[in-house]
Amino acid sequence: MLLRCDRNTDAIQPYLVGLWTIGSSTKNERTRQANGTMDAYLVKTEPYYRPTANEIALFEAAYRDRLPVMLKGPTGCGKTRFIEHMAWKLRRPLVTVAAHEDMTAADLAGRFLLAPEGTVWHDGPLTLAVRRGAICYLDEIVEARQDTTVVIHPLTDARRVLPLDKRNELVEAHPDFQLTISYNPGYQSAVKDLKESTKQRFVAIEFHYPEPEIEAEIVAREARADSRLASLLVDIGARSRNLRGHGLDEGASTRMLIHTARLVGNGIPLEAAVQSGIVLPITDDRDVREALTSAIAACLG
Amino acid sequence: MVRQRPVLSGGLRAVLDRHAQASQFEHEAWAEAMLRLANVNAGPGALLAAFRVCALIPARPGALARSAAALAAATDVCRAAGAHAVRAVLDARADLAQRFTALPDGDEAAWWRGMVRIAREAPTCIDAAAGTSGRIVATCGTGNFEAFVAAGLRAVADPARRLAFFALEDPEARRVLDRLSGQITFSTMQRRLSAYAAALWGQAPPMREAAVVGEGSPERRTTISSGIVRVPDVFRTVPPGRVPALYRATVAHATAHLALGEPRFDPAKLKPVQIVLVGLIEDARIEALAMRRFPGLFHLWAPFHTAEPSTLKTVPILLERLARALFDPAYEDHDGLVSKGRTLFRAEADLSDPGLSRRIGSLLGNDIGQMRIQFNAKLHVVDPVYRDDNLGLWTLPPPPPDAAVEQLDLAVESARIERETTPDGETPDRNDPEPELDDSLGLARAVKPDDRGVVVAHYSEWDAGAGLERPDWTTIREVEPTPASTHALDAALARDPGLRMRVERLVRAARVGRPTRLRRQPDGLDLDLDAAIDAAKALRTGEIPDERIHERKVMRTRDLAVLVLIDVSESTRDLVPAAGVSIIDIEKCAVAVLAEAMDALGDMCALRAFSSDGREDVRVTRVKDFDQRFDQVARARLSGLQPQLSTRIGAALRHAGAELDPRAATRRIVIALTDGAPSDIDVPNPTDLVDDARRAVLSLRSRGIDVFGITLDPSDQGSGADVFGRTNHMPVRRIEDLPSRLSELYFRVARR
Repeated sequence: MLLRCDRNTDAIQPYLVGLWTIGSSTKNERTRQANGTMDAYLVKTEPYYRPTANEIALFEAAYRDRLPVMLKGPTGCGKTRFIEHMAWKLRRPLVTVAAHEDMTAADLAGRFLLAPEGTVWHDGPLTLAVRRGAICYLDEIVEARQDTTVVIHPLTDARRVLPLDKRNELVEAHPDFQLTISYNPGYQSAVKDLKESTKQRFVAIEFHYPEPEIEAEIVAREARADSRLASLLVDIGARSRNLRGHGLDEGASTRMLIHTARLVGNGIPLEAAVQSGIVLPITDDRDVREALTSAIAACLG
Repeated sequence: MVRQRPVLSGGLRAVLDRHAQASQFEHEAWAEAMLRLANVNAGPGALLAAFRVCALIPARPGALARSAAALAAATDVCRAAGAHAVRAVLDARADLAQRFTALPDGDEAAWWRGMVRIAREAPTCIDAAAGTSGRIVATCGTGNFEAFVAAGLRAVADPARRLAFFALEDPEARRVLDRLSGQITFSTMQRRLSAYAAALWGQAPPMREAAVVGEGSPERRTTISSGIVRVPDVFRTVPPGRVPALYRATVAHATAHLALGEPRFDPAKLKPVQIVLVGLIEDARIEALAMRRFPGLFHLWAPFHTAEPSTLKTVPILLERLARALFDPAYEDHDGLVSKGRTLFRAEADLSDPGLSRRIGSLLGNDIGQMRIQFNAKLHVVDPVYRDDNLGLWTLPPPPPDAAVEQLDLAVESARIERETTPDGETPDRNDPEPELDDSLGLARAVKPDDRGVVVAHYSEWDAGAGLERPDWTTIREVEPTPASTHALDAALARDPGLRMRVERLVRAARVGRPTRLRRQPDGLDLDLDAAIDAAKALRTGEIPDERIHERKVMRTRDLAVLVLIDVSESTRDLVPAAGVSIIDIEKCAVAVLAEAMDALGDMCALRAFSSDGREDVRVTRVKDFDQRFDQVARARLSGLQPQLSTRIGAALRHAGAELDPRAATRRIVIALTDGAPSDIDVPNPTDLVDDARRAVLSLRSRGIDVFGITLDPSDQGSGADVFGRTNHMPVRRIEDLPSRLSELYFRVARR
């Protein structure tokens, strides 16, 4: 496309604006940002969370001094639920960002958008949390490109500032702002690993799948299932976790067990529910699938 | 020809009648093939058989051409193995035609190829093969005949055994047949079974195929010895539909022993029948415990308990009934011994006490002794079929009671047989590709091989003292690899499944290709926001905007050639205290993991091992070439590397560079895996070799070949950084970390 100074200006503008979903409402957006509250980000009702160790005390202690926290653990073991619970408990708004491979620093910090009257700055979720004193939760941070994660560095040391170079602004963190990231050590590898300089800024809380009794309690509570079914599913889950390293990258998560229990609760026979809820999603490898099915059959009796 | 031998005319007439519709052209081709067969002196008998075969081929378009192809193959057989052989083969073919009405073309060709191959490589076996080909074809199909022949020729070299193989008298032949027939065997199920065991108990014991027993000897059961479960390759007495369940039952039982059983019993003072009974009670105890944990196992094992009450009172039958009575609470049996066993077993309060097996077993053994029924310990086979032979329960070899000597001898003997047969009978393939160095390099001068290997190249070396490069100073000799069993390597890899998993994940991440954003492009699918904004700003301020406002995503593809140099000098024999194995073993493990990953990615990769014994004798071993897969052969070669001599790394690097030079790839990489301390017997001052190695690295780099060095250097005294440069040098302080570090390094460098 060749742009000429005057002639094409009108032609390109609607095109550019149309590509931004919120482009046309940036003015309102800006007003909302200036005057709005963080009510939308508050966790209103208590999310169920069953503590398995001292994680709540640890997080509270870290929050008291606004220390950045890293939640480590396999998928579906309750990291996200925990941070929701903590946000509720501490009565702080929670801004969650799911990181993805193509996430840039601008996706976190904010960017200039085009509006009919010119470009308008739009705060990203991280900047929003920094300005208003929310807990910012960056989910699966390793997924983001390594250069992206560097923007959190000045926020996670004594400076507690967020430099917005494009706007030439230095945002001082609100006293209540705190940063939490989640990090699945299963992805630990040369390709997907946090930089050493990033890792060392965080207090880490490690999560595992809970002990069988506690996990059964959680499954029963979350899926409104009876405790016998819940313990059986937890036992089945343990079989699949045994297969880690024997063809599976991860065993069935607590979340998976809960979903299966819900299927059963909605009238699906147990075998079918286990098949759809656990075996089929977890692997495409026929050998592993068959081994897992046989092992589950041994649990069912 | 026919005119000379009137006896043949009938045969010819039959063929011509059958294929009357065939074209003139086909007729001519066929007649020519026939004449050729006659001309190699196949003899009238064979010619008649050939006519018969051709007449039996159904008349279809192209049938005569097919016959001609068969005749050509027969001619080859005749040339290689003589008239007698070709007659036998043609008879076998005629016999086959009668058994199976229509053979597909491809199958027929495969069958002939198989025969020609036997005729050429093992002419003495051709009669036997002709005799058994019908049976072979009936079991595994005509198309697999060639595969059977190939397997036989590869597996057995000894002429007498070959004959036995093709006469189907060798147990190995039966095993090959079973495998080709697509029957479910242990090897096809193995992966599933070890995953099953892992899912149940959290860990899978190593499982192997038990040695094949010859026909006539009693059936084999699973054996557990020193933590290894050996499962029979096939269970012949079980219908095919139930074989998968049987393997699962077998593995569930054997692993239950390992997971729930106690350390061994001492067979002292026990009679053979008592030994068997203690085993039986122990089986029942283990199964009861296992079913308490996994109730579903009952349904897995129950179908194999088929004993019914009867009036027959032989020991095997009683034992089987007792096994069922202890296993299945719903089973009713009023035999005195069986119900006594059951009552005693039920009366035990605590099943987790292994002593009960011995208590009850000896009691019942006495009872059987008093019943005065014959018991032949030597022929005894444990039933039901999924159970193991319980030899793993006993401490061996203590001074056994006299009566049990034979049985225990049997056990020891069979263990010995297994040990002999388990190492892979992999025969290394001898057709190594020619050295890739060609004359255009000006360095390669092939010389007659001597005992030190083939001289493939000479390279210059830097003489630090004189400050000049000495031309043709070092001599590279290529040494034949000595393949060895890969068991130790496989076991070492199996010990750390997490490592493989991590590397696999790296592979997956690398294979997908990384999407890369190209910004400020003249065209593309997306707008580059920053560029567009700049453009808009420019428009407003009246400047000429940059028109490159688009953004494209491209997938980066991989195009690289890697040569891994493995240091096998004497120093790699040192033990790594933390891991309890030698450095070279860890090197092998690391290289195997990396090579597997590269193989999975399809990256061009070659593995070379090097050592040296003075400048005239720098030895290089080809473990794997660029266009070879990292298969069993390469693994065997890798396993066979032995520590020897010294480290003249500069020469090895130059050689690696010469091998990489002709490779067309965007990135060419040498990864040198060494102890970081160059040395050689004819160089008094090792720093000279460090200087030379650095120069070699620089010269490679100037030719666009990246050199990375991984040095196993726990004490940080090596000169790795001096040789490879700080950024391209990765010291490994904890040698046991090497496998994961090596792969990590590779992926890091290959990404750029």
